[in-house]
Amino acid sequence: MLSRLFLRDYRCFATATLALHPRVNIFYGRNAQGKTSLLEAVCVLMRLQSPRTSTKSEWIRFEASTSLIEGTVNDVDLRYAQNATVRRLAVSGAVCTRSDEYLKNTALIVWLDHADMNLVRGGAEHRRRFLDFAAAQMFPEYRDALKAYERSLRSRNYLLKRDDVIPWKQVDAYAVLLQKHGSVLRRCREALLTALEPHVVAVQQHLSGNTEVAALSYARGYEGDDLAAVLHERRAEEERSRSTVAGPHRDDVTLEINARAASAFASEGQQRTLCLALKIAQARVLEEARGQAPLLLMDDIFGELDKARRQAVLTALPAESQIFITTTFLDWMEQTTLNGHCYEVSNGAVEQRL
Amino acid sequence: MSQVDYPATIKQLILLMKSLPGLGPRSAERLVLWLMGRGESRVGELIEALTSLEERVAICEECGFFQEKGHDCLLCHDPKRDRRLLCVVEEAADILKLERSGAYSGLYHVLGGKLSPLDNITPADLRIEEMIHRVTELHTEEVILALGADVEGEATANYLADMLRVTETAITRLAQGMPAGGGLDHVDEMTLYQALSGRRKL
Ligand SMILES: [Zn+2]
Repeated sequence: MLSRLFLRDYRCFATATLALHPRVNIFYGRNAQGKTSLLEAVCVLMRLQSPRTSTKSEWIRFEASTSLIEGTVNDVDLRYAQNATVRRLAVSGAVCTRSDEYLKNTALIVWLDHADMNLVRGGAEHRRRFLDFAAAQMFPEYRDALKAYERSLRSRNYLLKRDDVIPWKQVDAYAVLLQKHGSVLRRCREALLTALEPHVVAVQQHLSGNTEVAALSYARGYEGDDLAAVLHERRAEEERSRSTVAGPHRDDVTLEINARAASAFASEGQQRTLCLALKIAQARVLEEARGQAPLLLMDDIFGELDKARRQAVLTALPAESQIFITTTFLDWMEQTTLNGHCYEVSNGAVEQRL
Repeated sequence: MSQVDYPATIKQLILLMKSLPGLGPRSAERLVLWLMGRGESRVGELIEALTSLEERVAICEECGFFQEKGHDCLLCHDPKRDRRLLCVVEEAADILKLERSGAYSGLYHVLGGKLSPLDNITPADLRIEEMIHRVTELHTEEVILALGADVEGEATANYLADMLRVTETAITRLAQGMPAGGGLDHVDEMTLYQALSGRRKL
C-alpha cells in the first residue's frame, strides 16, 4: 500500500504532498490539469518506467533541472530522482544503484486506460507488452532476460541488414543468445497465461452476466524448443527478409469470445469487457503470485463504465487492492459506494476534498 | 554576444582532453585551467611520464599485455607457466584480475574488446586472427574464454568458439556464478577463483 506520495518539479507539479487512503483515491478535475501525471508518478516510482513515454527527461517540470518522486510503500520510503541524463534511486534513505534491488521494495501495479482496447483490437505488440508488464512483476528473472533478448535481437537484425553478404558466423553467435534468453521469456509467458486463463474466463462471465465465455491461448513465435535450430533452418527466408523471422518477439495471444476471434467477431461492448477482464485477471494473478494485492491505476475509464460494470469491477478486484482513479466528472459517485479519499486536481495543485 | 574566448591553444587542449574516456566538457575545461594555474609545476612531470610511456612501454605481440621495451614479456616467456592453457580476455586489466585470483597459471590472450555490431565493433577490430594463429602454433590443449556475462561478451564467446572449432582444441567458459550483464571488472577474486575452477566445456 502507498500511504504517502510527494512530488517536486514533476510534470506540472512544483510540489505536491498526498496522504493516501488505503482503499480508494479519486483524482478529479478538468482535462490537462495533471491527474494522469499523478498516476504516472506512482507507476514510475513502482516500476521505473512510465506507460506514457520512454523519454524520462520529459517529466522534468519546465525550467527545473531535477524531478523528484517520493513515496512510502508498506512503510518503506522510496525515492526516485531524475535529471536530464541520470536517475538516482534510494530505499529507506540509502542510495540504491541496482534497479533489481530497488524493485524488491516496490508495490505491484496494474495500469488501466483507454489504450487497453488495443489488447483486443490492436497489433500483437500490445499483447506482448501486457505480458511483459505482468511477467516482469511476477518472475525475478524476467526483466534481465527481456533486456538481453531485446539487445541480442537488435544486434542480430542489424547484422542481417548491414552488409551485402550476411556475416552468418556473427549472426549465429546471437541466435544462441536469442535461444537462451528467449526460452526464459517463453517459460514465464506460458506460466503467466496459464495463471491468467481461469481468471479471465471467470471475470468475463461475471461482467457479462453469465453469457460470454472467453478463451485465451499462447500463439508461440517459434516452433519446437530450439530457437537457434529454427533460425538455422529458415536461413533462406532471413536472407530475403533481412530480419529475425522467429522468436518470442513474434509471440501473440489469441483471444476468443464464445469460440470466435474477439478482434473480428465480438461486439464493442464484449471487447471492452474482455480488456477489463484481462486487467482484472492480471491483478488477481499478481496477488496470487506475490501474496500482495497490486495497486490499480485507472486512468479516465472508471467513471465511464455503466453502473453494473462498475459494481462488477469493484467486486471482481482483489479485495485488498488500493485503487487510484482519475475522472473528469463525479456524478457516478452517487450510485457507487466508495470508501476513500477524493482530490481535486487543478492546474498543478492537488487538494483533498473528501 | 562577446567575442572573448580562450586562446586557440587552450581551446585545442580542452578539446583533446574532452575526447579522452571519462572526461566531460566541464571537467576537461577545469583540468586545463588547473594546469595553467595551480598545477603549473606538474606539467613537466606529465610531459615526462607521457614521453617515457611511449619510449619504454610496448604491447606484447603475442599475448597483448604490456611489457618493457627491450625485455621479454613476463607472461609469455615465464617457463613456469603452463603453455597448454590459453585464457582469452577482453582487456589487459582482466589479466591482473585473474592473476590475483591465483587460480590460473597458463598463458593469456587479450582480444582488445568484444564484438558489438551496434557500436560498430567487428571481428576485424579484435585480435582474433592472432588468437587462432597462437592456438595452432602452441598446440594449445584448452582455450578458456574468460569474457563478460553480458550480451556482447557472450556473443563474442560464441563467435570465438565457432572460429576455434577448426583447431580441435578443447574450449571452456567460466562457470556459473558470474554476475549477468557485467565484465570481469565487476567480479571479486573469490568468485573468479570459483568460476575458473568450475569452468565448463562449450
Ligand atoms: Zn606476452
